[in-house]
Amino acid sequence: MIKQTLLGLAVAITPALAFAHSKSEATTPANDATVTEVPELSMRFDDPMRIISVTLTSPDGDVEIERATGMDPVKEFRAMPLEELSPGSYRFDWRGMASDGHPMQGSFSFTVTE
Amino acid sequence: MTGLAPIDGLVILAILAKAIGYGAVLLAMGGVLFSVVFSQRAEVSVLRLARRLAVGAALIGLAVLAVRFGIRAARISGMGLEGASDPVMLGFVWESPLGTAAIWRGMGELAILAILVPRIGQWIAMAGTVAVAISFAQVGHALGEPRGALVVLLVLHLIAAAFWVGALVPLRRAALTPAGADILHYFGNVAAFGVALLIFAGTALAWLLAGSVTALFGTAYGLGLLLKVAIVAMLLGFAAFNKLRLVPALRTEIPGAAHALRQSISMEMLAVILILLATATLTSVTTPPVNL
Repeated sequence: MIKQTLLGLAVAITPALAFAHSKSEATTPANDATVTEVPELSMRFDDPMRIISVTLTSPDGDVEIERATGMDPVKEFRAMPLEELSPGSYRFDWRGMASDGHPMQGSFSFTVTE
Repeated sequence: MTGLAPIDGLVILAILAKAIGYGAVLLAMGGVLFSVVFSQRAEVSVLRLARRLAVGAALIGLAVLAVRFGIRAARISGMGLEGASDPVMLGFVWESPLGTAAIWRGMGELAILAILVPRIGQWIAMAGTVAVAISFAQVGHALGEPRGALVVLLVLHLIAAAFWVGALVPLRRAALTPAGADILHYFGNVAAFGVALLIFAGTALAWLLAGSVTALFGTAYGLGLLLKVAIVAMLLGFAAFNKLRLVPALRTEIPGAAHALRQSISMEMLAVILILLATATLTSVTTPPVNL
């Protein structure tokens, strides 16, 4: 009886399934994009994400960036390179925590040309 | 592979700690369930073993809980192991659903220690067992929708699993006692319902989290789940063999039956360890298809 009730319950509400944690939906620059300048680095999420650590690396090593977004959970994260990025390939890495407690990490890459 | 998170040293550490935590929790809950369900049937020495198992496991569970906080802090920090003791990172973990889950689990594990107190103690420990089960519904994908169904199914799945896992060590001992055959026979009958509940709840959860059968084959979560189910099927094979062959052999006092049964139970324990490792991997580095 309990089992039937539970199965009924499970069947009845299946379509209401929602996302338990957020995903990175879009980034600026876009992943694998080639751009001439990078005034800003940004990521958008479909659910608030607490971004804890961010690094921007080029083949020459770490590139300094300044966070415009703090460590509170956000749907949009923004940071700015401290100096104009010279031509080359870059990779942006981040770590953080989704609102459901899952540790999250991700990265995107882009190339800067003259 | 779709829905597979990057795996580094810290992630492997997190998976191992989680699997040990799962084992501790199931043994603690199961030790309590065994000593309550078998209080009138099992011999004093077997019941004492079950209670000690519950207490030892609950203490290990509390220690693992603290260690997992540190590992989680290190993972989110991006600083490596240094992040494990960073107050800001630990604060973030505490504020997250893991903090809520830790309160439920920690209080539950403390309450389980009351199993050593005569009479009233077992009811406090039972409440602790339920609290520990509820703690798992406070974190991760159990927070998704349909929340009510996910919570009820997860709690039932854990209680049924704990009843089985926690009974293995006491039953292995019981096989050597004069009343052992009857206890094992009784366990077989109770466990048949338990296993049905376990499979029902597990299947329903998998269905809610996977969304479709095709999702099982194309995602890391699906393949991990299939691996887990394959080991569970192996475990069920041992359990069925015990119930249908070895326990009747023990009841009719066939020579060597107790030894064979104890060996078979040891194999069940090994299967349980593999299942816990598979589950810890599944819940740490894969994303259920409905969340992709």
